[in-house]
Amino acid sequence: MNVKIIARVLGLLLVVEGLSMLVAMLVALLYQGPDVTSFLVSSLICIIPGLVIAFLTSKAPKNISKREGFVIVSLVWLVFSLFGSIPYVISGSIPDYTNAFFETMSGFTTTGSSILENIEELPHGILFWRSLTQWLGGMGIIVLSLSFMPIFGIGGMQLFAAEVPGPTPDKISPKIHQTARMLWLIYILFTTLETLLLWAGGMSLFDSVNHSLTTMATGGFGTKQDSIAHWDSAYIQYVIIFFMILAGTNFSLSYLVLKGKVSRLYKDEEFKYYIFFIVGFTIIIFSGLLITSTLGVEQAFRDSLFQVVSIITTTGFATADYVLWAPILTILIFALFFFGGSAGSTGGGIKIMRIVVLLKNSYYELRRIVHPNAVIPVRFNQHSVDSKTVNNVLAFFMFYMLVFFLSSIIFMLFEPDMATAMGAVATSLGNIGPGIGDVGPSQTFLSIHPLGKWFLSFLMMLGRLELFTVLVLFSPSFWKH
Amino acid sequence: MKVVIAGAGEVGTHLARMLSRENHDIILLDDDPEKLSQISRDVDLLTINGSAHSFVDLKQTGLNKADLFIAVTPYEERNVLACTMASYLGVGRTIARINNSEYLQERYREKLKNLGIHELIYPESLAAKEIVSSVKLTGTRQMIEFSGGKLVLLAIKIRSNAPIVNHTLEELHSRIHDVIAVAIKREKDTIIPQGKDYIRNNDIVFFVTNRSAQKMVFELAGKELYEIKNIMFLGGSRIAQKTIEKMGDQYRIKVIEIDKERCERLADKFENVLVINGDGRDVDLLKDEGLEKMDAFIATTGSSETNMLSCHLAKMYGIKRTVAEVENFAFMGIAEGMDIGTMINKKLIAASYIYRFTLNAEISTVKCLTASDAEVFEFVAKPGARITQKPIKDLDFPEEAKIGGIVRDNQGYVADGKTQILEGDKVVVFTLPSGIKKLEKFFK
Repeated sequence: MNVKIIARVLGLLLVVEGLSMLVAMLVALLYQGPDVTSFLVSSLICIIPGLVIAFLTSKAPKNISKREGFVIVSLVWLVFSLFGSIPYVISGSIPDYTNAFFETMSGFTTTGSSILENIEELPHGILFWRSLTQWLGGMGIIVLSLSFMPIFGIGGMQLFAAEVPGPTPDKISPKIHQTARMLWLIYILFTTLETLLLWAGGMSLFDSVNHSLTTMATGGFGTKQDSIAHWDSAYIQYVIIFFMILAGTNFSLSYLVLKGKVSRLYKDEEFKYYIFFIVGFTIIIFSGLLITSTLGVEQAFRDSLFQVVSIITTTGFATADYVLWAPILTILIFALFFFGGSAGSTGGGIKIMRIVVLLKNSYYELRRIVHPNAVIPVRFNQHSVDSKTVNNVLAFFMFYMLVFFLSSIIFMLFEPDMATAMGAVATSLGNIGPGIGDVGPSQTFLSIHPLGKWFLSFLMMLGRLELFTVLVLFSPSFWKH
Repeated sequence: MKVVIAGAGEVGTHLARMLSRENHDIILLDDDPEKLSQISRDVDLLTINGSAHSFVDLKQTGLNKADLFIAVTPYEERNVLACTMASYLGVGRTIARINNSEYLQERYREKLKNLGIHELIYPESLAAKEIVSSVKLTGTRQMIEFSGGKLVLLAIKIRSNAPIVNHTLEELHSRIHDVIAVAIKREKDTIIPQGKDYIRNNDIVFFVTNRSAQKMVFELAGKELYEIKNIMFLGGSRIAQKTIEKMGDQYRIKVIEIDKERCERLADKFENVLVINGDGRDVDLLKDEGLEKMDAFIATTGSSETNMLSCHLAKMYGIKRTVAEVENFAFMGIAEGMDIGTMINKKLIAASYIYRFTLNAEISTVKCLTASDAEVFEFVAKPGARITQKPIKDLDFPEEAKIGGIVRDNQGYVADGKTQILEGDKVVVFTLPSGIKKLEKFFK
């Protein structure tokens, strides 16, 4: 374990964070807000130590080993949240550090759970910073840095694999930094497109930009207390639905489609299942809403589709409060907490690919019992998945469930209501945003005990880095030489 | 440069590793996903699982935009076919690995080019060439000739009996004018020396010199030149056969081979060679066959361990010249400290041969040094290149590299700080891997 290289990467990334705060400062300047100096100060707090560390460690070796990769990625997310909360505290928007940290971690991990109960009163710069944290965290801090800084040498792949969601990261170009650049270009393209479409639909430019940043990141922060429900426009809601679906799709797949290989879309099994799950759940919930509520047909359809997409992609926007629906519909939504977007998307959760592999493997097990000597591999995208990957997915699922249940029990120490505890834990682990019970879409996390907030922040990071990256740090074999 | 490599075997992965480190875009194609996942874990490249001779799979690699296609699967016919297909799909240049010297003949060159196969690489033949040259010139670890021998690079192990041990390079230079030490391999490090650096016991020193001064270099390095007559080969592998072919009749050769059938084939192929069927690890057998009387011992069995240990043994029996084929990279470091004489690695040789096709500057020779991770290039100084503008000492030449000498008008000159390089000169440069990119700028 080379401490120098770890410090160097952290230092350089801190500079990146400082620079992105300056972007928020520009927005604050534009709106002549009271938060300009707070961004300037916070950015200096990031940039100066960052540069000093980078300068002191300039002789560090260039190659990052696997172990160092895990440590770096975990620390980066922690450090980013620790420093990213400074603007909230200095500007006085969120005076309490615990709350500010929770909000920042929720931002970078694209969870979207908030403790704010006065969103509309906050200055524009702070609101923009809030959205920007999600946008940066969505595609990944490391992936962003890889795309324009060739500092990582050979180790870039280690970091990339540790940060990008999904069991097997796929490259779309021979060089890791080119791959990262392509992904960011598509990301920027989609974000710009959405901004324009929302703006055209009557949303103000500032709101359009913010919501586009958080949609593409599958984050879920907004600029209004009542989220997307604030705009009672079918057009705006459908646009957001479309881009949420896009953000939950594998970006490598989007890249190929943009390059003209549209046929990949029909061939991609994960995408097919992703759409299948969205359609399936929407139909069930839509029918349920028609029966149990007094909503009109279009309204019921739009509400069910919006909530299903928002939850399955782990965005967490809301146009209706599903906690107030018939309990059976709420539990259906809760089931969606465990799906997540596609591998290689900005979505969190377990991921469609893993769900499909798990389901297929379990189903084939029935056949294997009937034919004990048969060779029945799990097939995915016309290829058999090797047993290592299947094992990895099984272990991931086991850990996910274990963490979910243990954390729910621990969390009930702070929050005795079972639905609230399970909802808060599942939503943090899946990077979704709203939970069920007392933390549903129309409530906030403000009332949670401070220790509970730190605990949830940890779960968010665990979920964003897909368990293994963080969990290996806790295994004794990692530290043994 | 975008390079597609078909075959993730040892040559393929070594090439991929080396080229990717120098910022080329590498796409590696192989039909074994296990091999691909292994290399993609620590090398920055794109892997594609597929067959080298499938149009669909080749297209997936984006061949039409690639500059170079290298087919190094273990099968000759597959490589040849893959190159033809790759050319058809629009790649700039193709290289096929072959196992058959027939293809190398000049009269078939044009035919192969028409088929879309531009370059051929025959690793066994290249390895055999190296073995022959190391047997011809005793006393060195490795000898590389440039421009038909006008300049030579000699890698010499310095022992305590050498007159120059514990002297500086300046002192060496004052004794013989026409020699320059371009590098010193000391334990695990390769040093690019300055004039004030000392030569120590157990160093391997890389000298660049010309033919006339060569003898004096050997004298100062404490090496007696001796003639080689009796050679024992351990293992009748393809490399051994190629070597015997190239050696000609002036040696008395014995081959020890464990496989009966192969022995018969060898005996049939080489009339003047004594083929002995037996296990080379059997010391008594070796002694019976006169191991002690041999001048050279060449071990090229399929097993690197056997080759290393038997060479070590041969050294203990007082054989001066030993050559071991060591294909396992991890062993090369150990072998260095083990007193086993010259090492041959056909993957390394093949990779450095292919390597020059990826460089922008014009290059006539590239050799990688088995005793060190460095490489030696023979660049051609193009008109207007930076290298021709100032004398060497004012050039701000990279620290990781050193100019050994130049060949001008068919004459070899050893370089010193005052040498001014002119256009058209062939320049012999020694460099560590980190210096290669910087060198290109000087010669473009």
